[in-house]
Amino acid sequence: MKYKVLACVLMIFSTLSSANPLQSIIDQVELKTGEIPNKPSKVELKKTSEGNWRVYINDVETPIRGAGGVLQPGMLEQFKLAGGNFTRTWGIGSLEDKVAGGERYIDRAWRLGIHVVPGLWIGHERHHFDYNDPEQLKKQREHVRQSVRKWKNHPAIAMWGLGNEMEDPVKQNPNPAVIKELEILAQIIKEEDPHHPVMTVIAGSGAGKVKSIMQHYSSIDVLGVNAYGSAAGTGEALKAHGWKKPFAVTEFGVMGFWEVPKTSWGAPIEPNSTEKSKTYYSSHKLVYDINEGKEMCLGTFAFLWGWKQEKTSTWFGMCLPTMEKLPQVDAMTKAWTGEWPKNRCPNIVKISADFDQKVIEPKRTYVARVDAIDRNGDELTYDWLVTEESKVQSVGGDKEPDPTSHPDLTLVNGQRDGVFRSPSKPGAYRLFLTIRDGKGGAATANIPFKVK
Amino acid sequence: MKKVMMTVLAIFATFSMGSAQDFGDHSSSTLTSKAWEALNAGDHAMVKAYTDKCIEMYLTKAKEMQAGLTALPTGSQEEVSKYWALNDVGTCLFIKGQALQKKGDKAGAKKAFKTLVDDLKYAQCWDAKGWFWSPAGAAKKTLVELEFETSI
Repeated sequence: MKYKVLACVLMIFSTLSSANPLQSIIDQVELKTGEIPNKPSKVELKKTSEGNWRVYINDVETPIRGAGGVLQPGMLEQFKLAGGNFTRTWGIGSLEDKVAGGERYIDRAWRLGIHVVPGLWIGHERHHFDYNDPEQLKKQREHVRQSVRKWKNHPAIAMWGLGNEMEDPVKQNPNPAVIKELEILAQIIKEEDPHHPVMTVIAGSGAGKVKSIMQHYSSIDVLGVNAYGSAAGTGEALKAHGWKKPFAVTEFGVMGFWEVPKTSWGAPIEPNSTEKSKTYYSSHKLVYDINEGKEMCLGTFAFLWGWKQEKTSTWFGMCLPTMEKLPQVDAMTKAWTGEWPKNRCPNIVKISADFDQKVIEPKRTYVARVDAIDRNGDELTYDWLVTEESKVQSVGGDKEPDPTSHPDLTLVNGQRDGVFRSPSKPGAYRLFLTIRDGKGGAATANIPFKVK
Repeated sequence: MKKVMMTVLAIFATFSMGSAQDFGDHSSSTLTSKAWEALNAGDHAMVKAYTDKCIEMYLTKAKEMQAGLTALPTGSQEEVSKYWALNDVGTCLFIKGQALQKKGDKAGAKKAFKTLVDDLKYAQCWDAKGWFWSPAGAAKKTLVELEFETSI
């Protein structure tokens, strides 16, 4: 009886402690205690004696070591331990999401010493927002005013993120009405809150967009640029367009799926997580430390600390849905702190298969093989899964449905050799590989193929 | 006997090399195009032959063009192409670095990329999609990644 009770207690304890795979990380970090002051932090944009634009928070020079996302419980702690200090959201509602300790996102960020750029979502014309409709504009202005009024005294807030790619990612020259409206909205923010800078985020650093902002939107304090393949050259491009205020790279990381080589049937070839980690590292180092225009760069926000389905389930995510970090996280730790984390993610040396980027027969058996290393010598597990190619052509990160996976097609799993039967239905697919070290680190890759 | 064999082999090697490489009109654009083709075919020896020839023949002119610039040349394709030696030698250094990297010769790749970044940073390469890109910019990125790679 005694043993049964003990076993029961142990089971309950084990269930509770495994409820969040990041619990051990949550337990490691130091938190500020006590009541959260209802007083904004002092935030200034100033040039250093060397002429570099920097954010100063409560008089401390604070280079932006940031990321977008970081929303799931435990991820703020994971991000803090990795060396991050700034996050940005796309909507204001995220500030109240419940995270570790049952706290609101914004409160937990403050306890961790993380600064937040809350996104104030601004309507996109492709989502049918009409910049000639006075009613819609009035509603949007009121939303911005009320959001700023509500949150302006929270000490975790560093600056306002007014809009994200509202000028349209695919347009070279934005609708001037959109940019002029941003000026009105920024003035509203400054009326309500003179203490925080206003940043607006655009897609890419194209001349048409930057020049339109310079012409119609003088109240902007920081230009945020979302850039993938071109992230490293952002400062150089802005300088060439005559931009003089500070900027931040507000989304960057892997090359976008629109920028990479494609298979003969048009499926973009996704780099594996080790290849991605190199691009995260180099983009940050080049734009912030090396390239022309670096003196205007306040820092960067890696995309995306978390995961999402966009073209594939792994393209932009720096973590897995099972909460493990990927090598992209380790790369940012190295870039931010100069040191590698104690537990390193596995790295893929090589992944190979005869059917890679090929059109193959249905209902046949195929084999893929991976060579991976783990610096800590952890035992690795391998998970192979056939998934249909996404048929959605979304723009600007719009939500996509998850494509169908076929676990029944994997014949041999859990090993370095993945054996599967090709689907009977013609079409485009990918064989996904997830490697885990069992200690919170993972790696991913996929091989596109098409069935006749 | 051994000496005779060696001589025969050396002559054969020279002939077979000479017949494979074809410098055409020896212009920088021909050498660069041939170097790209060799890179795409994975023929590292031919990449070396074409890029080295281009560098040997036109590096002085390329440096001269670079010295006359204070910023990346802009304008039409025709205007940017006035800096032909700078653009072609810069591109050849990039191609050479890529081939060496693929071959696993990281030190050699670094050297080629570094020369490009330090000496010919305003070189540009025309992309068939309709724009110029900067080989030095791409080389800079690769240099940072090569450095990073060593500690992965």
